[in-house]
Amino acid sequence: MTVQMIFLAFFGGAAVWFGVVVFRTHSMVRSALALLFSQTAIGAMFLVMQAEFLGVLQIMMMATEMSIMAIFMVMFMMDPGGLGGMDMSHQKRFSIGAGVSAAVVAIAVALLSDWGPAAEQVVDAEAQTRALGMELLGRSMMIFETAGITILTAMIAATAVAIPVQNLSSKDDKEASE
Amino acid sequence: MTMILILALVTGAILFGIGVYGALSQTNLVMIMMGVELMLAGAMVNLVAFWRFLHPEAYSGQMFVLVVMTVMALEMAVGFGVAIARFRAKGSVEMEEAEDLKG
Amino acid sequence: MSILVVLLSLAAGAYALAVIERWAVHGHLSLTGPAWAALALLGRESLLARKSDRLFFELGPVLLLVAGLMAVAVIPLAPGLIITDLATGALFLNAALAYVLVALIMAGWGPNGAYAMIAGWRFLGQFIAYAMLIVMPITAVAMRAESLSTVEIVASQEQLWNVLYQPMGFILFVVAAMGLAWLPPLDLPDATGELAGGVEAEYTGVRLAVLRLARMVIILALAGATVTFYLGGWLGPWLPPWAWSAIKILVVAAAMLSVGRYMPRIREARYLALSWKLGISLALANIFVVGVIALVVPI
Repeated sequence: MTVQMIFLAFFGGAAVWFGVVVFRTHSMVRSALALLFSQTAIGAMFLVMQAEFLGVLQIMMMATEMSIMAIFMVMFMMDPGGLGGMDMSHQKRFSIGAGVSAAVVAIAVALLSDWGPAAEQVVDAEAQTRALGMELLGRSMMIFETAGITILTAMIAATAVAIPVQNLSSKDDKEASE
Repeated sequence: MTMILILALVTGAILFGIGVYGALSQTNLVMIMMGVELMLAGAMVNLVAFWRFLHPEAYSGQMFVLVVMTVMALEMAVGFGVAIARFRAKGSVEMEEAEDLKG
Repeated sequence: MSILVVLLSLAAGAYALAVIERWAVHGHLSLTGPAWAALALLGRESLLARKSDRLFFELGPVLLLVAGLMAVAVIPLAPGLIITDLATGALFLNAALAYVLVALIMAGWGPNGAYAMIAGWRFLGQFIAYAMLIVMPITAVAMRAESLSTVEIVASQEQLWNVLYQPMGFILFVVAAMGLAWLPPLDLPDATGELAGGVEAEYTGVRLAVLRLARMVIILALAGATVTFYLGGWLGPWLPPWAWSAIKILVVAAAMLSVGRYMPRIREARYLALSWKLGISLALANIFVVGVIALVVPI
């Protein structure tokens, strides 16, 4: 339990450190990759908490997500390399207040609640993966299927929003110009 | 022996706080999405900690984490779709220049 | 103990692969060539581009090497000869190889050069093309083995190798693996003759040596994954298990290195269209067929 705690504290610290770096650095690619390493540290926390499947899944998914985030940062930011040192934030005092108070309230709840005894043992990873699969396609099947349908809907919606508008008049213009 | 649970919950809370700060303070849509990702990540840490230390026999906890991961991916997909449309129409995804969304 | 054996055989395999690649490219076999080339690289000056992102520039090749080593950690070479037998081994392999993308983006962004950056972002497009086609065939393999552990997956092929059980998945996986290891004709990130070496363009000296070594490790890891998932791993008659693993992995790696050299390079947009329109449909059909076979005729 003590070893588990040390590792949990280490990876938790890493996650928080990289989370801070995300909003401190001027280089946008660094910012996206700092978020990636923050998420990877969270995946490592899952592994420390013996949720092997979720940890590996988190580490895998975030690598892709954050790399895509990085290219969008480079596309949409005015100063992606961060060489100009632009300040990209507003309403600073309000946001710091909101962030700190949210964290303080959550920590207070965590400290003041009576959580009861912590479970000492969990089953090994193979049994866990099996049980999770049974849960996914058994009792929680409806939720799982809904998540799948939601992904499909979001994919179609995102594509529909992102492709350029092609209406009839602009097509005529193009033909006329040719 | 709930010290370890509290450690995980505190980490989750701090991550959530950083996410709130980022989502409120950044002027760019993509940076705001990074703040939201951090908030969701903080929630996931809490969910896994609850599963591991309070109810290791109930796999709905792990299931919930999977749903949150799905939400993170969806948020990215739809957010970037909107960002591309906005960039095409207005040439920027800066929040300071999005006064027209106020209605 | 088994860690040491795996790492030593990995080093030997990487050297053999370097010899084979030299043979495939230049046309003459030289057993000492890669050793001299490596020594020359170690002796050369390590240049640093002006206004580079130093952290990413240094970290990129190292992260590439680490990703390759992590992927090798779950590949069994013989019964008991594996660094770590994870219960989620097949998924872990994917997780490790996803960092190849991150490392290449870092290495492309770091040196502040146009060719390197274009190559790094190109690999992102290539990644979106191959990513699903790595994961979905593995799903079908895990369905047959009823486990994600790589040892279990090899054991499940005792009766019939997966290459005969699900040939479609095998083809999709090998093509996707060639995309992951940026082998020709899918070598967009270092497109020689078009991007002047791409990601490798700004690297010299020791850093380039690490980058090339990491790439060899990744090719070996992917050949090992192909053998584990589809060619029965260490299974085979007469010879001892480790010999079978070594022969199969080297043959697959040599085939991956040499076959594509006779095809024109594929643009990432075309690769994307092909793999999403054709590849994913085929992968879904593969999962369906394997599911039906697994339910109806248990082999």
